[in-house]
Amino acid sequence: MPGWQAINDELKSKNLEVITVAEDTRGAQDAGPWMTAATLPMDAPVRSPAPAERIRLTHTAVIDQEHLVSKLYNMVNVPTAVWIDEQGRIVRPNETAYVDDRLKYIHGLESVQYLAALRDWAEKGERSAHVFSEERLRKRLAAQNPHWAPAAAEFGLGQHLYRSGFLEDAIPHFKAAQRLNPDSWNYKRQAWLLSDSKRDYGTTFREEVAKLNGKRYYPARDLPGERTPATETRRHGENPG
Amino acid sequence: MNEIRATIIFDDVVTEVSAHSDAGELWIESCNLSRATHFDLKPQGLCRGELCYPLPPKNQVEFLREEAGGTWFNLTAFARHTGQAVAHDATHSTWYFGVRPDQSRQLSSLVAPDFTLPDIDGKLHSLSDFRGKKVFLVTWASW
Repeated sequence: MPGWQAINDELKSKNLEVITVAEDTRGAQDAGPWMTAATLPMDAPVRSPAPAERIRLTHTAVIDQEHLVSKLYNMVNVPTAVWIDEQGRIVRPNETAYVDDRLKYIHGLESVQYLAALRDWAEKGERSAHVFSEERLRKRLAAQNPHWAPAAAEFGLGQHLYRSGFLEDAIPHFKAAQRLNPDSWNYKRQAWLLSDSKRDYGTTFREEVAKLNGKRYYPARDLPGERTPATETRRHGENPG
Repeated sequence: MNEIRATIIFDDVVTEVSAHSDAGELWIESCNLSRATHFDLKPQGLCRGELCYPLPPKNQVEFLREEAGGTWFNLTAFARHTGQAVAHDATHSTWYFGVRPDQSRQLSSLVAPDFTLPDIDGKLHSLSDFRGKKVFLVTWASW
């Protein structure tokens, strides 16, 4: 959060605004402590930071309890970023975006090329080489899967039942969402957080990551100078945006 | 046809209405339609502002029927007709209506779908507030 906020403060003068969206069913209860934490204890349990470790939010940071943004943009994981131009049109679709390399040991993605691309777009707008052509954007969208919308509906129903106090009745709907859109880590990880994942889903995040067996957790990006591991044979889990 | 108390989630807004249900089909009174969906039944179809979904004239009976002095509308049949996903929980008589077809059309025409969400103080922000600026939109989560 402090990282994206710094990018926002840096690129504001280039007419660019950062919007961060927390995809958390329990809203501020889960997302809140992370929003204002000056540093994130990534592997530690969530805790409320002491006042001295808090930052004041200066960018638009919204909380998305319904996972509405993921639903509308067909996002399957976090973090996922989209570039939107002055006319409200998508110019670079869904992709993984990290502001720093703290988790690089897990995902292998470097932030430096990504941030260079973002700064280039802020500077040059539609003339930036990182803006997708309409043809490329349409090609991505052509890969839309008819099962995604039913999956999102099952997930939404699961969230509603969970919030109404019926966790047990929510689980079959979360499972249906996971089955209909197996590429969505959002549907898995959010549901697991709301349960004892071993008891209710027979698995854990660590076990599922181990099952990837060399396949990438995040799909490759399309950035100059970014290496793609040779083990990758397809763009696993890529949804168009 | 059972008379039930149904929970409808449309545009992520939860509404309770009295309904008729049969094999997962959801019939609600047309007067409840606008309360639950913000769409109104008009001669030209189901409308919200400029947006109208015409009902196919041939099989109106699939969508509409007169009963107990009121006009009843089959919301699940209408969702099928427009291609809107629906998830149903029979135990809780709850129907969740997914992304509206006009919203998915936005995405396929490369328009960034609009949304309105609160910040930590509850203040609402819409993507459309940022028209005229470049927006870098990025999701994250605590999990």
